[in-house]
Amino acid sequence: MVSLARKNLFHDRVRLAVALLGIQFAVVLMTLQIGFFLKFMTNASVLIDHIEADIWITAKNLKNFDFGLPFSEQKLYEARRVPGVLWAEKFLMGFSYWKMPDGGQETIQVIGFNPETRIGAPWDIVEGDLDQVKYFTQIFIDEADRERLGFPRIGDEVEIIGHKARIAGITRGAKSFVGSPFVFTSFKNALKLSFIPPGQTVYILVKVAPGYTVEEVKEHLARTLTGVDVYTKREFSWKSRRYWLLVTGAGIALLSTAVLGLLVGTVIVGQTIYASTMEHLKEFGTLKAIGASNADLYRIILTQALLMAVIGYATGMLLARAFLHLARRAGLEAYLPIEVLAGIFGLTLVMCVSASILSIYKVTKLDPALVFRS
Amino acid sequence: MGAPWLVLDRVSKVYGDGTSAVVAVREVSLQLSGGRFVLLMGPSGSGKTTLLLLMGCLLKPTRGRLFLFEHDVSALDERTLPLLRRRYIGFVFQTFNLFPALTAVENVELALNLKGINGSDARRRAAALLARVGLEGRLHFLPRDLSGGEKQRVALARALAGDPPIILADEPTGMLDSRTGRQIVELLADLARTEGRLVFMVTHDQRVRDLADEVLFMEDGSIIARKSADELREVVSHGEGK
Repeated sequence: MVSLARKNLFHDRVRLAVALLGIQFAVVLMTLQIGFFLKFMTNASVLIDHIEADIWITAKNLKNFDFGLPFSEQKLYEARRVPGVLWAEKFLMGFSYWKMPDGGQETIQVIGFNPETRIGAPWDIVEGDLDQVKYFTQIFIDEADRERLGFPRIGDEVEIIGHKARIAGITRGAKSFVGSPFVFTSFKNALKLSFIPPGQTVYILVKVAPGYTVEEVKEHLARTLTGVDVYTKREFSWKSRRYWLLVTGAGIALLSTAVLGLLVGTVIVGQTIYASTMEHLKEFGTLKAIGASNADLYRIILTQALLMAVIGYATGMLLARAFLHLARRAGLEAYLPIEVLAGIFGLTLVMCVSASILSIYKVTKLDPALVFRS
Repeated sequence: MGAPWLVLDRVSKVYGDGTSAVVAVREVSLQLSGGRFVLLMGPSGSGKTTLLLLMGCLLKPTRGRLFLFEHDVSALDERTLPLLRRRYIGFVFQTFNLFPALTAVENVELALNLKGINGSDARRRAAALLARVGLEGRLHFLPRDLSGGEKQRVALARALAGDPPIILADEPTGMLDSRTGRQIVELLADLARTEGRLVFMVTHDQRVRDLADEVLFMEDGSIIARKSADELREVVSHGEGK
């Protein structure tokens, strides 16, 4: 069938350009904001999601991962005796200060794990041997934080709250949500490099033994251990994300901008499709006269909307990619898995189709006498 | 002789209601069959276009009944009417109403597509229809690159897409010079005489009356006079004799 929708669309190139600009605006805004939002959410629980523990034991009433509070490591031994616990490990996260080469200080988050079991260790090592952290003052930093920390290299000696430490390796993808660089080392080293008192831990990580369910062991632990909270991995991950999303409102602000992009895009596309429909109203009348049904006319309008969605999405994504490249250079990362990109495409389709509803209504109400007027 | 193709039985069309009601067509009764070239004449606002819309199943009568090949149009729903239009009727408009983004052949092909003819068959038939109206050399021209007469020929080829038995034309010479206009009307008359179609044309152009088999005169929504070709010739010869 002759594609009147396609031909009309490309016949009026100025109008098409305006419509595409609207769609591209919406696609870029949605992609950037959703990408930043997801990265924001992922970062809020990055360590929790990467550590293989099934259960996290924390200080009572903890707000989220980054605000970890110390409690007695005696709880570790109590936890290990609970039925269904395969292993339990202490894990430390404490804020500290890194002395910069220019004499200034940078806030850091020291992560302490057991180097023997490597539970809680960084998961992506770019350079260096993780065994090195067994020895005093050996640390790993993330490649994304090198600039923040004054570009230290492997083997360089640095100073953390008056203690000398040596860079033993570089990690990847372990970027802290609050912006303070992660510094990975052994639990023993971490106690020295942070303000956590000896005999205390910040978290206890638990693996559930085969034959037990996570919920079951969580119940046992919660009943047995006093003065602490017990969460499954999923619960603690969501608790940390939820805090930044809802309590601070930061995530909502990002999401609102994405929604705003969608709305503005819908209005621009809707206005363009409507103007195009009004301009071609006589053509729709002619189509009706030569035998087109309302369904045929709807198909033309919807085809135009879908074509605009596909072209607008494809070109919008190219623009978004360029913006993301610039953002990355400025240290702003986005997280956009294929499902999200597919979702944004779906939203673009919905935006364009819903924008054409007014035009469909107009065509339905079309006065057939229109085609006979000169 | 078979049943008439188009029957209007005391058909009225009223726009609006109450005190603002306007009667556009008032109790018109007609019976029309194939092989006839019929003109409808009358002053502006006399209801000619509304009558054409009713005959083309683009409007439904407010009162009375309209039969198209024995289908009671007044009783059909909005989903069935397009099917009737596709099968039985071809339209020619004063302002051509071609799709500016489509070439001449695509304009005709689109009408064939709507009638269920697709692909290379549609393209071949569209080209043949354009050749029939003398436009074999203009197949891939956009409407903006065609003269008024050529545009109307494309519109005529489009009206013939799917081989409808009835052609309804609304002032098809209104935008054309007299020579080109006459050529178009001759083409329409030929469609009635040689192919047995019913061609029903609204016009103000007195100069083409000699080509018609019948002329209807309309005023204030009613058909006030009907003249056959013989009667018209008589009127013309009397006029010439005086």
